[in-house]
Amino acid sequence: MSQLRRVAVAIVTVMVAAALASCGGSNGDSSSVLRIGTSSGISSPNPFVGYNQDDYSVWTYIYPTLLQYDTTKSGFPYAGNFARKWSTSTDGRTVTFHTVPDASWSDGTPLTADDAAWTLTMIKKYAHGPTATWAGSVRYMTSARATDKDTLVVTYRRPVASAYSDVGMTPILPRQVWGQYATGNGKQLTTFENVPENGKPLVGGGPFVMTKYTKDSIALFARNSHWYGPAPHISGFGLQFFHDEDAMITALKTGQLDAINEIPPTSVSSLQKAGQHVYVGPALSLRDLIINSDPNKTKNRELLDPQVRKAMEYAVDRDAIVKTAWLGYASPGASLVPAGNATGGTQWHDPDISPLPFDIDKANQILDSLGYQRGGNGIRVADGHQMSYNVIFPQDEEGAGDRAFQIIQRGFRQIGIAITQTRLDDDAAFQAIYGGKKSGYQFDLAMWDWFPAADPGFILDAMTCKQYGDWNDSGYCTKQYDALDLQQDRTTNASQRQSVVFQMQQMIYAAKPYIILTYDKRLDAWSPKWTGFVESPQGFFNNFSTQSLLSVRPA
Amino acid sequence: MPRLRFVLRRLAFAIATVFVAITLNFFLFRVLPGDAVRNLARVPHASPGLQHALAREFGLDKPMWEQYLIYLRELAHGNLGVSFTTRQPVSGDLRQALLNTLPMVSLGTIFAILIGTVTGVVSAWRRGTVLDRVSTNLAIAFYSFPTQWLALVLLIYLSNWLPSHGMTNDFLVDPSFWQHELDVLRHMLLPSLTLGLTLYGEYTLIVRSAMLETLGEDYILTARAKGLRQRQVILRHALRNAMLPTITLIALSLGYIVAGAILIETVFSWPGIGSAVYEAVTKRDYPMLQGAFLVLTVSVVFFNFVADLLYARLDPRITE
Repeated sequence: MSQLRRVAVAIVTVMVAAALASCGGSNGDSSSVLRIGTSSGISSPNPFVGYNQDDYSVWTYIYPTLLQYDTTKSGFPYAGNFARKWSTSTDGRTVTFHTVPDASWSDGTPLTADDAAWTLTMIKKYAHGPTATWAGSVRYMTSARATDKDTLVVTYRRPVASAYSDVGMTPILPRQVWGQYATGNGKQLTTFENVPENGKPLVGGGPFVMTKYTKDSIALFARNSHWYGPAPHISGFGLQFFHDEDAMITALKTGQLDAINEIPPTSVSSLQKAGQHVYVGPALSLRDLIINSDPNKTKNRELLDPQVRKAMEYAVDRDAIVKTAWLGYASPGASLVPAGNATGGTQWHDPDISPLPFDIDKANQILDSLGYQRGGNGIRVADGHQMSYNVIFPQDEEGAGDRAFQIIQRGFRQIGIAITQTRLDDDAAFQAIYGGKKSGYQFDLAMWDWFPAADPGFILDAMTCKQYGDWNDSGYCTKQYDALDLQQDRTTNASQRQSVVFQMQQMIYAAKPYIILTYDKRLDAWSPKWTGFVESPQGFFNNFSTQSLLSVRPA
Repeated sequence: MPRLRFVLRRLAFAIATVFVAITLNFFLFRVLPGDAVRNLARVPHASPGLQHALAREFGLDKPMWEQYLIYLRELAHGNLGVSFTTRQPVSGDLRQALLNTLPMVSLGTIFAILIGTVTGVVSAWRRGTVLDRVSTNLAIAFYSFPTQWLALVLLIYLSNWLPSHGMTNDFLVDPSFWQHELDVLRHMLLPSLTLGLTLYGEYTLIVRSAMLETLGEDYILTARAKGLRQRQVILRHALRNAMLPTITLIALSLGYIVAGAILIETVFSWPGIGSAVYEAVTKRDYPMLQGAFLVLTVSVVFFNFVADLLYARLDPRITE
């Protein structure tokens, strides 16, 4: 027992000593290193493996891109990054970039237009395998070549409207590092870990270099002394990964963090009370109620009727969803393309599309006129069956989505439609939506969200027939819409493209494969000890531009 | 001979259990609705062919039985496969996660054993007193608290003084060896304390119950009649005999140490095996899940086996 007592005393002593030591603060912290908390985290620093939002933002800061979006200006016009000038030929099939002369990678190797040409060509070469995650960026590209060390010429089989967003925002990789893996079947491009080793930072060409990476824990970055642009004010930054949002919020309040890229609405008031700065702005995301639009759907086919969908939209109380589910940090949605969707100075969101008002009487009138009478339990009967539907509810939507569902359920109940919630994890939810080639789309309703890319091409394309079983989660498919999608994709004139994009949004709004419920608000927070953050619909740490961490500095 | 037969029988049972677990681990995740590569393929710049490319790369396009045979063959060669999400060998990721988990969970478990044993003995010793009631009720309360709730409460109230996330403060500039070790220890305190508090109640109740049973035995009465001091009676005679069920509980707990504490590691963002399992489940990273559950199975089976042997040693009657 005396031995046991000694062990106990030793442990207690160590714990007390550690606790006392912790009260002294953390010696050696550098005050110009920005500590960012994130719940997304880096899935992999390898651009051909990673898929998280933070991965894309990190690549934007450690690798050069030809262009970026200027998020300080309306419509997010293109701004130069590694390219200083850019132009498109009159036939839209050739795009030329003039790059920064005499630039170099962080290891001192010259960084030229040839590196950009090599990266794009390599992505194209392995597009059906290892580099498939970036294959969309080189669609219809026939060649990428450096005509001299400062000029990159990209040619296309046909005009591509989003060429600047696609090629311009693709990270350029150092050939001296990646060249050895781009051989044979290219498999090593995905097995290469791409992390700092032996105390040496990753070779990069952006304003920062990655100096340390610990999976599921932290990534550290230091200023790149070889960076061709203006030097950042901070000496570096760190991304600390959190699995629990409450812990992350507490860390900001207690000074263990300097900023958080995306906070939940529930934490806004407590952070403000704690004296932290909270940013509220438009986000590039939307929440939707999906109504199966597959004409081959076999059951509950009344849901294919646009009038029924219209009645359902009248019964959705968006204001209550905004107020109750999102605590006011959202706005009512209507169009498939949210207000944050802008590129190259052009706004792609159609402002003329407005949501239908919450009007139970009007909804009931529509359903009455269709002859769907209420049964004894108050639920209407359509074609011999009750209007009672199942709503597929993925894990993604938990929390605010649950409260939104309850509000929709209450509204539907008032018009004689019953809905029940089926919770599934995200993979299982998509499988429940799309059952495969044989069965197609047989579900009734679902709730989900979209975090579209800045260019509208992506979200618009998700509603086409060719995306059946892939991005298409509504079963919507019409030849007219597909033709418009093709047209917008090849229209390089921005105003002409905008008119096609607006037309497509109106088509979707009229057909209602989605009832767009709300657009999210972007919520970020930082300590008042810091200033100079540049916000965007993806937060202050984003893959739109390097502006934010170039201008942030201690207050 | 009966003892050898007993050991061999337990060993055969342990091996069979591990094999069944390996098979179940393989099929369990694959029969769930959904697709392991769909989420990985849903990235904005990807081509529609990415999903098929990934399925081909991970061997998921092969028939299930063939995947199973490949898995067994690779396992026999000590290869746990490559993680779907990081494309790195599972063994490396698991080893690191285990190394992160073991110190934190061990500290919490030792804390629980020490506090639980002391409070259990004191409760039994002072049976029926206010001290006993307070100690027992407190133990029951901590035993029944939801782990993540307790973790958040400690985090909210103690994070002004103790680090609340991760394993180290990576923003320390060139820390010395001892600075680093102290930093890790400081980060370990909150998660270990949470684990210790959720576990100690169980030890308190079991030690108390075993002690009460022992204190009613004739040899305790004899010891008292001999005029031994109360402390000698408790520590020398009662506690030693009451340790049998506690030792079994400790052996079983050790088996679960490698499982980490998923909820605690999640709340405190501790990069251990619990966090790794959580991530793997949400990402459907089959090789990582199979590897993590294999390690857990082997560990639990091994320590059960050890507990069996220990029991056989302490009470030879069970080998007959």
